[in-house]
Amino acid sequence: MFSLPSILYLSALLFCIGTYGVLARRNILIVLMSLELMLNAVNIALVTFGRVHALGSPAGEHGGQIFTLMVLAVAAAEAAIGLSLLLVIWRRWQSIDLRTLCRLNG
Amino acid sequence: MLSPWLEHLVFATVAVAAVISSLLVVTRRNPIYSALFLIVMLATVSVMFMLLDATFLGFMQLLVYAGAIMVLYLFVIMLINPREGNLPAEGSAMENAFAGGVALLLFSLLAFAISNSEEVKRLTTDGGIPALAEIPLSHGSIAAFGLELFHNHLLVFEVTSILILVGIIGAVHLAMRRKSSEKNLQQHEEGAVTADV
Repeated sequence: MFSLPSILYLSALLFCIGTYGVLARRNILIVLMSLELMLNAVNIALVTFGRVHALGSPAGEHGGQIFTLMVLAVAAAEAAIGLSLLLVIWRRWQSIDLRTLCRLNG
Repeated sequence: MLSPWLEHLVFATVAVAAVISSLLVVTRRNPIYSALFLIVMLATVSVMFMLLDATFLGFMQLLVYAGAIMVLYLFVIMLINPREGNLPAEGSAMENAFAGGVALLLFSLLAFAISNSEEVKRLTTDGGIPALAEIPLSHGSIAAFGLELFHNHLLVFEVTSILILVGIIGAVHLAMRRKSSEKNLQQHEEGAVTADV
């Protein structure tokens, strides 16, 4: 089996690429996609640790996988809410630029 | 079951594909390309789940992400139809370098933590991930997964269904077109603009 650290490094690297996307991009759509990227990076680590501790874990044999399923549900809800907020912003200002949200500044 | 060297090969291929496609997701200018590369990335994550004996979860990942969430993204992209003219201007090279620096710092912190973790070291000397023979053959199958989900984690499951319900109601409420209030808002805004002028 491939080694545990290599999967963890991969997960960390994907998470950091997602962080870069959230920080650097101005397009709300791409920022939302980068968020999905970060959630997936965390999911990889969760499944890996769930697999490593499959035996004798208080969370049960599939604890990590069930946690991941919950993250999947949260990601779906987040995508639905985020995209409908994006639609509202688009109708209001005809823009998907994050900087237009500065106008919310009272 | 795959032989060890084949498993290594599949893992290496999938890892490289995941990193390249996620880099493309965050660097493409047109969101359509980002969405398509994100689908590739999600598929590689699904393969990784299957390598980790989470077969059912791997299929769920494909169904929920590539099948549902990404279709939602593509619908929204088609709805607002971003063209070269109305894509937002990206930040300057300085701002991108700052974001890259923060991400690099975060990665070095995480890598430091992983390379110095006693727990990871202990598990690695034990042979990394326990061999498949040590866990029941049904591990990760839909029957074993479902039995555990509905026996030990039923409350979590029900709370998740409430979360999804709230998500649906919120999305419908936000995306609903309210003609009268929108008109009022627009008139109000136009009035404000002319008052400013």
